Amino acid sequence: MKKVRKISFTTAASVIVVSGTLIVASMAQAKPPRSETQIAQERAALMTAVAKGDDLWHSAKLGNNGLACANCHPDGSASNVHTWPKFQTNLGKVGTLREMINWCIAVPMQGRILEYDSEEMIAMEAYATYTHRGVAIAPAKDEQHGAVPVKSGPGYPRH
Amino acid sequence: MKKFSRRQFLGMTTKAGAATMFAGIFAPSASSMLGLGGVAEAATKKIKPFNFAVLTDAHLYDIADHKFDHILEKAVADVNSIKPRPDFVLYAGDLGQSGKKAELVKGKKILDKLKMPYKIIPGEHDYYLDMGKAWRKLFGDEHWSFNHNGVHFIGMNSILVPDFWTLKKLTPKERMHMMEELECHNCGAWGVGEKQLNWLARDVKRVSPDTPVVIMTHSPLWDYYPRWNFQTYDAPEIREILRKFDKVISIHGHVHQVVYNEINNMRSCGLLSTSWPWPYPPVELEYPHIKQRRADPGDFEDGLGGHDIAVNADFDAIVHWREFSDLLPDNIKKGLKV
Ligand code: HEC
Ligand SMILES: [Fe+2]
Ligand SMILES: [Fe+2]
Repeated sequence: MKKVRKISFTTAASVIVVSGTLIVASMAQAKPPRSETQIAQERAALMTAVAKGDDLWHSAKLGNNGLACANCHPDGSASNVHTWPKFQTNLGKVGTLREMINWCIAVPMQGRILEYDSEEMIAMEAYATYTHRGVAIAPAKDEQHGAVPVKSGPGYPRH
Repeated sequence: MKKFSRRQFLGMTTKAGAATMFAGIFAPSASSMLGLGGVAEAATKKIKPFNFAVLTDAHLYDIADHKFDHILEKAVADVNSIKPRPDFVLYAGDLGQSGKKAELVKGKKILDKLKMPYKIIPGEHDYYLDMGKAWRKLFGDEHWSFNHNGVHFIGMNSILVPDFWTLKKLTPKERMHMMEELECHNCGAWGVGEKQLNWLARDVKRVSPDTPVVIMTHSPLWDYYPRWNFQTYDAPEIREILRKFDKVISIHGHVHQVVYNEINNMRSCGLLSTSWPWPYPPVELEYPHIKQRRADPGDFEDGLGGHDIAVNADFDAIVHWREFSDLLPDNIKKGLKV
């Protein structure tokens, strides 16, 4: 906490030294808006994670019985990613999407669970969440959960 | 159509002991299966009531002692316990998962424990490693028909896609792997193709319109959700060829769920798998009350099962989805009259 305050003080001080009275204007100059290139790079990084997650959803490597998530969840269906955290009966508590992903790896797929903040886990979450963007939250009660309509291709821009 | 000798045919789908019984039941119309023409028995109008069982979508892996082996075994035992005993069993495809011969051999071994003869068609999971070679060697022709107690039964291969692999230079394994994905976006829509359409037209030409017809395909004969190949692209042509009949009952695998639809004279029933249940696709159903409830992923038998279909003298068929767990809505617990 203390350290952070010290840094910001030094930064502010140097700004004052450089530009005299026009403090506000020079601060804006010191932090330019993100460039188109940077935005494109960040977006590409997300899509890379989504694509990696797509591959993992379709991979038998997470489990030990040949199954992949997509066997039972085509297009990420019935994962209801946008409804978490919530009480989930199999977890027996209010849990997160990542906990449920691990539960499905461990139980129907008899596999080894992932670290919660591993690159794989984040990618799995990225794929499923990306395909559910803009979907209204309407969790089913006792019915089979449904799927999100995907018009064409993998459901996201993939190259 | 490939012609089989009678002996080949009898040997194909039945274990030795059942062969005689099979011959006994189907003998009058065996020629129909052999494509010799001039076969179609006129409808007796009065059907001799009977029941038959249906199993599908076992998705067996080439892994020893796999949970799906046990579920198929349980379904076979369940069918053997049905009273009155079904006259025969139909199997609607996806016996294996990755098209490997070992999967199909394992599946045949389990199906051979059925106490009655069975007829089978291929699903995409049985097929795209070697384009059905191993499957045909084990089970024979991909399409067939026979008459039983006054009902005309038809089975067809509905999972034929145009070649998407040659240009992409895919290996058979890569091709199979793509087809294994339900939402495969490189594979395209599938159907029965022109050859089988011609065969079907010939097959039913001499069958009189008051003959009850049951047709089994792997995929639905209506546009349910094409993205997951819950469709057959030439289903409109199939329905047209069968339009002359008073009533056609279509049963199909692939959807791994209870689903029902009607188009003109055709009533379609989606079947339970013995592997995993699929979520309902995001489409509005005409018969939304004919659905199963949510499956518990912690119970490996939830949402799975077999079927018993009873046919009465008026060709009212009662379809019983025999779910291992009780996930059926009340209105179809005692069967659905189609
Ligand atoms: C053998 C089938 C099967 C496999 C394989 C499987 N699941 Fe599931 N999973 C289910 C079923 C069935 C449900 C319950 C569906 C429902 O609520 O309608 C479920 C539920 C879920 C849910 C919670 C849905 C909710 O809202 O309660 C998530 C998230 C999930 N699965 C993710 C995954 C992931 C990720 C994988 C792969 C690591 C996976 N599943 C593998 C069958 C499976
Ligand atoms: Fe299947
Ligand atoms: Fe299938």
